[in-house]
Amino acid sequence: MAKDVKPTRKNLMAIEDRIDLSTRGHSTLEKKRDGLIMEFMDILDQAQDVRSDLDDAYTDAQRNINMARAMDGDVAVRGAAAALKEHPEITTRSKNIMGVVVPEIESSKVKKSLDQRGYGVVGTSARIDEAAEAYEELLEQVILAAEVETAMKKMLEEIETTKRRVNALEFKLLPELHDAQEFIEQKLEEQEREEIFRMKKIKAKKEAEEAEEALVEDDEEVKYETVTADD
Amino acid sequence: MSQEIAVIGSPDFTTGFRLAGVRRFANVPDADKAEELDDAVEQMLADEEVGIVVMHDEDLDHLSRNVRRSVETSVEPVLVTLGGSGSSSGLREQIKRAIGIDLMDEDQQ
Repeated sequence: MAKDVKPTRKNLMAIEDRIDLSTRGHSTLEKKRDGLIMEFMDILDQAQDVRSDLDDAYTDAQRNINMARAMDGDVAVRGAAAALKEHPEITTRSKNIMGVVVPEIESSKVKKSLDQRGYGVVGTSARIDEAAEAYEELLEQVILAAEVETAMKKMLEEIETTKRRVNALEFKLLPELHDAQEFIEQKLEEQEREEIFRMKKIKAKKEAEEAEEALVEDDEEVKYETVTADD
Repeated sequence: MSQEIAVIGSPDFTTGFRLAGVRRFANVPDADKAEELDDAVEQMLADEEVGIVVMHDEDLDHLSRNVRRSVETSVEPVLVTLGGSGSSSGLREQIKRAIGIDLMDEDQQ
């Protein structure tokens, strides 16, 4: 605690410097936190839109594949699914939002034309095509959602650490430093008062001594005078 | 670096994604979900070539606590859940913790 510091002027100056730095850091971090939360609100709005689109796409895709299953049979659908040759790939690039690195996901080969899909056109029906198309659509939404939700997760982590830092400065470090500063100031003042008191004491003692000496001298003078008087 | 999308779930769930060309998938029949889903998910999380993991929201309930937490907070790969009650609950918890307000709840009402 504050009592651990040595009450010296050097320490006081060091603590004052630290208080200065911490206060500045605190206000900067506070601004960062507020900025992050504002950015996060924007992303949250986006995420909610993407979510509802995703849910719509999912129900749509499910309806389509259920139709295909009902009309063509489960085996035909699975057979077609196993025949796919082109695979969607994603590449991630990073983007910087207020010091938070968030990914930008780019996809390729998600949407495919009929002849790119790889299953035979003759052996399968249009319903399977529709289901495949609906799922391709869904995958695009999934990729969008993944991008937005990763960004949200990263932003949230950053907000949490920033908030923790702000609180640590505000409620732990700064009060401790202020305590230490006050402790040293009080101690130094007390030392100063002690010093003045000591000086006063010494002065009084010295004056008393001087007075005594003067008295002795006077006595001696008187003796001397008496001696001369005797002559 | 190019990555792929992976799907984990019951055969019914994964078939559609395979129709769209997803190559990485783990079929876990409904009956075995309690035992096998954990392993399947951990395997996908460890795979560096997987960028996005797609799961059904209800399947998350079959996961053990640890795996569920790691999959919900994972960024690489990121988890996207479908169906169920909208946005993933892990994210919602995180928002509550980080900002102090349940933003998703407010917006849903």
